[in-house]
Amino acid sequence: MVPVENYLALSGILFAIGVYGVLARRNAILVLMSIELMLNAVALNFVAFAVFMDPEQITGAVVAVFVITVAAAEVGLALAIVIRYFRMRATSNIDEAAALKW
Amino acid sequence: MRDYTLFIPEYWAAGAAVLIIAADILWPNMRRQLLAYLTAGAAVVYGGIALFYIQSDPESFMGLIQVDDFTTFFRVLGAGIIAVTAILSANHMQHRAGVLGEYYGLLLVAGIGLTFMAGARELLTAYIALEVLSFSLYILVGYMRRDVFSAEASLKYVLLGGFASAILLYGISIIYGVSGSTFYDAIAVGLADRGGDADIATIIGLMLVIGGVGFKVSAAPFHMWAPDAYQGAPLPITAFLSTASKAAGFALILRLFTASFVDDAEFWRWAIAGVAVLTMAVGNLVALQQTDLKRLVAYSSIGQVGYMLVVIAALGYGGREVGEQASSALLLHMVGYVISTLALFTALTAYYDRTGKDSSIRGIRGMAETQPYLALIITAALFSFAGLPFFAGFATKLFMFQASAEPELLWVIGVAIVASFVSLYYYLMVIRQMYLFEPEGGVQRFRLPPLVWVIATVLLLGILFIGIYPAPVFEIADSAVQPLFEVGADISP
Repeated sequence: MVPVENYLALSGILFAIGVYGVLARRNAILVLMSIELMLNAVALNFVAFAVFMDPEQITGAVVAVFVITVAAAEVGLALAIVIRYFRMRATSNIDEAAALKW
Repeated sequence: MRDYTLFIPEYWAAGAAVLIIAADILWPNMRRQLLAYLTAGAAVVYGGIALFYIQSDPESFMGLIQVDDFTTFFRVLGAGIIAVTAILSANHMQHRAGVLGEYYGLLLVAGIGLTFMAGARELLTAYIALEVLSFSLYILVGYMRRDVFSAEASLKYVLLGGFASAILLYGISIIYGVSGSTFYDAIAVGLADRGGDADIATIIGLMLVIGGVGFKVSAAPFHMWAPDAYQGAPLPITAFLSTASKAAGFALILRLFTASFVDDAEFWRWAIAGVAVLTMAVGNLVALQQTDLKRLVAYSSIGQVGYMLVVIAALGYGGREVGEQASSALLLHMVGYVISTLALFTALTAYYDRTGKDSSIRGIRGMAETQPYLALIITAALFSFAGLPFFAGFATKLFMFQASAEPELLWVIGVAIVASFVSLYYYLMVIRQMYLFEPEGGVQRFRLPPLVWVIATVLLLGILFIGIYPAPVFEIADSAVQPLFEVGADISP
């Protein structure tokens, strides 16, 4: 069996890439994709912990399913908001979203 | 126990939300204000049904959501917030958006999210309740279709909100890995089994959770979204944001930290104290330079969050006695803060609806002449924020800081008192605009709509009542926090 540390390392790397993407990317869609990466790291964490602690326990898997579902809803909502903003301003660059100062 | 009768108020609210959305579709020619009054009525009934659960024994749905006096407290508070917000929206949103059914429906749905955040005793449930509230708010903030500020505000809010949710979830996953459960009580047991060592994973998990919930209550340094979202949102939603999302956030923090993390306080209390100081400093200092009234209120509400976080730090530094006192003082302060904020926004919405001005501070020049009663209400609300005697903020802050006065926290409380003095300066700047300048742009003296007058008066009396005689509300708050401290009241499913 693959030791749990490997899964945690992978999830940590995924999460770090996601955080970097959110902070470094200036396109709203890419920021959203980075947030998705972070959520995938979370789901991986949950499944890995659940299997590692007790293969019979399903809490971790259930949480992972919920995380994926909520993430899908979140992306649907966020994309709608991005599209509406794009229609108004013809840009999805968040640096140009400066009508309100950050 | 699967007791489905625990959630009758939520069935009502969800049903009413669906019916309101359907009503708007079926009868598009209905008078648009009617939807607002229906929503307000539904919210009042929601709070009314919730009252039947007072003093009943704490009971939980399979250990996921607990219905006790604490939940009831936030049900009633949330219902009040929704009712006032809906009535404010009646005139304000009339011409600002095409379809309004979803707007009012989502207000009720957000209320359900608020309640379940207060009632949750399991992390996944708490997270989903939090997202129910947040998703509703993302949409509501951007509800003004043709307004570029509104679109931009909701864009920033949804991106930063998603980022914060991911951070919170990563923290939750680590807590789950360390403690082996997502139930609050079992987390406490799991963390205790660990032997109390300062292992790095627990600390990282706690910090990520604090960051995630800190974002929701807009504590510095996670506050960047608040001023933009507040400024871009429709005025009634600004009121809703600054009351409901903060009440919900603190409800979740109180229940989670008292149930799960209080035994490991030494790992997180310093972080909360630091965040509290930073939040008070940032909120009150940046508020000094604002020229937009909504942004000013946003920063002042960030400052208020700093005061409330002192209580959470006190939970960590003090024992159970201190925790109980401080938490009930926090709930009392929350009520005072909610009433003052709603009073402020009732007056502002009524004024801007009439004059059509934007939300710059200059816009309220000469209000004392054109509408002296509204000017009085705004003054009372701002004095309450600043904590002047005889207004709600004074009594509630006094209780809060007195209850939190642990030796290690005295310097934090000192900072809070200095911050209160600083805040008085910018509140007085606003009041000066109302009383010392002539009205601009030919605004004439005008009369208030009767319903707005009634709400404003009730809220004004509420500010004075809590300021002068807080004992009854304090007793309610005190009985509301008792279930939080009952050890093993209802452990896991």
